[in-house]
Amino acid sequence: MFDLKKYRKKSPWILHYNAGSCNGCDIEILAALSPKYDLERFGVINTGNPKQSDIFLVTGPVTYRTRERLVELYTQMPEPKVVIAVGSCACTGCVFRDMYNVEVGIDRYIPVDVYVPGCASSPELIIDGVVKGLEILEHKSKEMEKPFKLFKAATIDDGIVNRRHSALKVGEDDAKD
Amino acid sequence: MMEAFFIAVAPLLGGLLYGFERVLRARMQNRKGPPLLQPFYDMYKLIGKQAFIVNPYHSILGIVYFITLWIVVAFIILGENLLYIIFLHLLSVVFLILAGFSVRSVYSHIGANRELLATLAYEPVLVMMAVGFFMINGSFEISAIRANASSIIPLFLLFLTFLMIIPVKLKKSPFNATEAHQEIIGGVEVEYSGVFFEFMYMAKWLEYVFIYLLLMLFAGDNIALGTALFIGTFLLVNLVDNATARVKMRDLIKIVLTLGIVLGTVNLIGLSYV
Ligand code: SF4
Repeated sequence: MFDLKKYRKKSPWILHYNAGSCNGCDIEILAALSPKYDLERFGVINTGNPKQSDIFLVTGPVTYRTRERLVELYTQMPEPKVVIAVGSCACTGCVFRDMYNVEVGIDRYIPVDVYVPGCASSPELIIDGVVKGLEILEHKSKEMEKPFKLFKAATIDDGIVNRRHSALKVGEDDAKD
Repeated sequence: MMEAFFIAVAPLLGGLLYGFERVLRARMQNRKGPPLLQPFYDMYKLIGKQAFIVNPYHSILGIVYFITLWIVVAFIILGENLLYIIFLHLLSVVFLILAGFSVRSVYSHIGANRELLATLAYEPVLVMMAVGFFMINGSFEISAIRANASSIIPLFLLFLTFLMIIPVKLKKSPFNATEAHQEIIGGVEVEYSGVFFEFMYMAKWLEYVFIYLLLMLFAGDNIALGTALFIGTFLLVNLVDNATARVKMRDLIKIVLTLGIVLGTVNLIGLSYV
């Protein structure tokens, strides 16, 4: 009989969220969806609705205001889902790295599957990233991946604020108490 | 026997039609577009997704909407009473609207409101169409309408109004304010997910079958004319969908209600004098 998992990667629906980006990466994503690059030939639809999407495309460094929405949107998406960080900002913070109002990339809050670098990353790279994400989507099961905890004090070693390695999983520090 | 087969595969036929339409629309925009079986891939994927249930009635009303629509299509294929079919279809839309109001999402409420207004706009046109068929054939039975000669010439103005409500029913530009995907994210279907959204998705395919089966009634017993009408309308609707922008909800009602009622009434009055 047919295997449902094989069809899972044939119809990825996209949720695009701008976590405080400068719009450079968003324009490139929209270009990838436009007739010239035509992501729809892989079955991609830009739904804009977290409850019906499989791929979470996030751009921009996470700011104080957007991080709660980011986690909220992530938890509203049904499993299986894939998170793609588009642009250097979403991967590492880019030029905004270590500014006081900017977090260092989205992987401090939610688990990221594919990193697409570049400032701004080109539509070709974004398409490559989405296709890579489809392979991951095929293997994902319905199991939940938990978003990380929102607030945790930054640890400073060698005078450099590095929060990524100190990110907590939900429930991890509740157990300690 | 033949009817039972068609009733069973009606959603699949609608799915094929929807897939073909997506390819056609892509070709009109000079791109490759998704594969023909894309709607079925979507369906398989939705089975494998986690489903969030907002409240039980919301999910059940979506399924009831799908089933009622299927019964409507079955009655058309079996050749039952046209008036009865139109009111049963109204009942299925009522289930959809109730589903929209049964959750607390603002988008869902706006979508349900708009669905209600759109129903007010196109329902008189459908009823007028039934009356027109009654005046020509002397019967509301679809089997009688199908047995008689084509009535597209005496009902031409009503045919034009029917063309106008096809985009409203199929949620296409310029009349797709009911599920404006960029503003209210699909309206009524916003809170559905997983396997429950699948029923809404398949209900959309059934809407295609419903509206095009009604369109074929204008051809009567002339199968060649029916096929020509179907292909012509299919191309026209997609062309208009690609070439126009969305109009506001208020304009939708104004255009469909005024033009539809004027054209339909003129047609009916004309018929009663002939
Ligand atoms: S990576 Fe560059 S283009 Fe993209 S959001 Fe950041 S600053 Fe803008």
